[in-house]
Amino acid sequence: MNEARLRLAHAELDPERLRRLLGEVGTEREAVRALRRGRHRLSPRAAEALGRPVGELMEGLAENGARFIDRDRLPGGLLAAGDPLPGLFVRGALPHTGGVAVVGSRRATRYGLQIAEAIGRRLAAAGRVVVSGLARGVDGAAHRGCVEAGGVGVAVLGSGIDVWYPPEHRGLGEQLLEGGGAVVSEYPPGTPPAPWRFPCRNRLIVGLSEAVIVVEAAAKSGALITAREALERGRDVYVVPGDIDRPTSEGCNRLIQDGAHPVCGLEDLDTLLQLALGPPGGASPGPGGLVGRSVEDLLAEADDPRACLVELGRLEAEGKIHIAGGVVREAGGRVGNRPGTR
Amino acid sequence: MFYSSTTSAALVGVRPHPVRVEAFIGGPREGFTLVGLPDTAVREARDRVRSAIQASGFGFPARRVTVNLAPADLPKGGSAYDLPIALGILSAAGIVPAQASRVVAVGELALDGSVRPVGGGLAAGMVAVERDLPCIAAPETAREAAAVPGADVKVVASLAEAVAVATGRAEARIPEPIVPEADGETLDLADVRGQLQARRALEIAAAGGHHLLLSGPPGAGKTMLARRLPGILPPLDDRDVLEVACVHAAARRTRLTRTPPFRSPHHSASLVALVGGGSGIPVPGEVSLAHRGVLFLDELAEFPPSVLDALRQPIEDGSVTIARKGVSVTFPSACQLVAATNPCPCGFRGDRKKPCRCGAAAVSRYRRRISGPLLDRFDLRVQVWRPDAEEFLARPGEPSEVVRRRVTAARELQRRRGVTNACLTRSALDAIEMDAEASTLLGTALTAGRVTARGFDRIRRVARTIADLGGSEVVTGDHVAEALTYRGEW
Repeated sequence: MNEARLRLAHAELDPERLRRLLGEVGTEREAVRALRRGRHRLSPRAAEALGRPVGELMEGLAENGARFIDRDRLPGGLLAAGDPLPGLFVRGALPHTGGVAVVGSRRATRYGLQIAEAIGRRLAAAGRVVVSGLARGVDGAAHRGCVEAGGVGVAVLGSGIDVWYPPEHRGLGEQLLEGGGAVVSEYPPGTPPAPWRFPCRNRLIVGLSEAVIVVEAAAKSGALITAREALERGRDVYVVPGDIDRPTSEGCNRLIQDGAHPVCGLEDLDTLLQLALGPPGGASPGPGGLVGRSVEDLLAEADDPRACLVELGRLEAEGKIHIAGGVVREAGGRVGNRPGTR
Repeated sequence: MFYSSTTSAALVGVRPHPVRVEAFIGGPREGFTLVGLPDTAVREARDRVRSAIQASGFGFPARRVTVNLAPADLPKGGSAYDLPIALGILSAAGIVPAQASRVVAVGELALDGSVRPVGGGLAAGMVAVERDLPCIAAPETAREAAAVPGADVKVVASLAEAVAVATGRAEARIPEPIVPEADGETLDLADVRGQLQARRALEIAAAGGHHLLLSGPPGAGKTMLARRLPGILPPLDDRDVLEVACVHAAARRTRLTRTPPFRSPHHSASLVALVGGGSGIPVPGEVSLAHRGVLFLDELAEFPPSVLDALRQPIEDGSVTIARKGVSVTFPSACQLVAATNPCPCGFRGDRKKPCRCGAAAVSRYRRRISGPLLDRFDLRVQVWRPDAEEFLARPGEPSEVVRRRVTAARELQRRRGVTNACLTRSALDAIEMDAEASTLLGTALTAGRVTARGFDRIRRVARTIADLGGSEVVTGDHVAEALTYRGEW
């Protein structure tokens, strides 16, 4: 682990400030030095943490059952290009394969809550990792559905990893951890929630997901920021349509108007996700660590490419792997109604 | 002697068709009538012929001249009938010996009597062989005609020379023959770095005549690969060279080389441009111009579905028939289809570096543009990746010539069996000799639901070709296993 990154993660800087600072001084080590020199405005807690020895910081983390994962060790695809994030604070086991984010309004209607919960349940049952922000409303409902169905969920917090916000979701968060999920944050323990921190964490929700489902969102909702971020980063966005006369549906319906895919039924969801992401990954890599690799790369590494092809063909015939789009995938795909399987 | 009949030739579709140019001198008043479905260019022959005859020092008959182009119901076009008309009139009027009309003549006449080259040399050459007559034409046309084996072709530069040559009073000049050699400037496969699976798929496609679908992001080298397919195909034999030349002649182009043709129409091309047709005399489309060669459709999903569906039948049957009022012509279209497509509208789905910006719905809509029946025609489907820096630095791949040698050997095995692997029918596939492991593998794949009935046939066809490339009579488990990797979803 890079000590400078751990310290930097304690500085509570928003990504924009951190990027500018790194741009000025070059390296993370220099950035820590610059912060210590005190010419940057820091919260008293951050300033204090920057001065403490690394060992103490680590102990502080361990007390909270958390650890710091350096940016180099984060799952691939989590960080967007140019994201300066030094690393993540994590409690629980961070799943390595992409999840599905469920986001929406904090002031959701009963309908929204009900759907979010059902989606959470459905995703969990289909073996997907449910990613959300543990906020009030849709976030919480999705997490609850996931926990109820015994699924694995990841909560991305906008506060320190030991600060449950809203407080009434402490129980839900702990259940999530017990269920084998994870709670992650880019802020060090003790960081209080603040409005400006929430938009930042949205990018992490997107990063941890391969698809984003927006359940209910008003015209100016954080969920829309998440959806936009998702589109920019090539994630599929699915939207639950809402009543057209209800302000809390406007954002959703506009997204559909702009071309996002509407979710017209829960059964739809399974098909869409299957189509977009392939069968759920799970944490276990397939035969010989082939799953997820491209055929081309495997051939390039092989001593005898022809023999390697033959081997892949055998595994495919025996139903152990499935080659689609030139990439080795876990078996379990369907045959027949997808183009190209005919 | 008031009547003469000279032979000329027209290309109907790709078949050479003799045209008899009859001339009759006589009637009450002076005049010049031309009948036999001439188009404007042919009708204007009257003025060119009259002037050319006079400029050559012959007198134009001061009587009524009637010229008929037979068969009278076949539409005639172009200026190639000028020369036979002039020879016919001269011999009918008794101005020159009747011998002058006993030739197959093609050529346009200039007002000063010189002969200009025209298309249709091939047709003239073939008719001349068929009728056992000498063929006379301008130098460029004559060279084309001389490509027909056994043709007695004579080069003439003017009407006066044509008369002298046809009546045996002058020594005939022999044209320099166009030797249908392979053109040297084909693209080499050695330029392709990396792309191991795609290269191999290209080789298999060449060896078995299979249609090939390449899928990958922009810049991955799909076009680069496709363009190198003709270079690894066995060169055309004499018969094929002529066949291809005839199709191209019908499109008014000269093509006499042993390299198989490569055609890559843009996706905005019209249905007629691709399949053939047009008003008046039908012209061959791209699918026919690619006969005995490669038809490359880049950006397959961008082609209008109606166009793609229209292409299916010609490719399947190896010929396309175009019916027009008066004529119905059949162009051959036995070509190998190579198509390239992006995996999604933005092109980067599955790319190693660049993220894809398309939603699942957009992707499935994009892929639906290629119909299942069309997709079924592709025995081989591979993903092409954008090479990374390492691959650019990699050693060049095998040169085309080495690959072509293996391909030619595999084709030879198929020739002895009598059918190209791509054309193997289900019953022929059932008769393929397989070892125990191959059958077991196929059985497993079938029962596991990994393969459908049609996919099953494709795998067997490809496995047969892989076995041929390895010089093996029996299809083994290795061959089947490899074949399974080329049917990938895209």
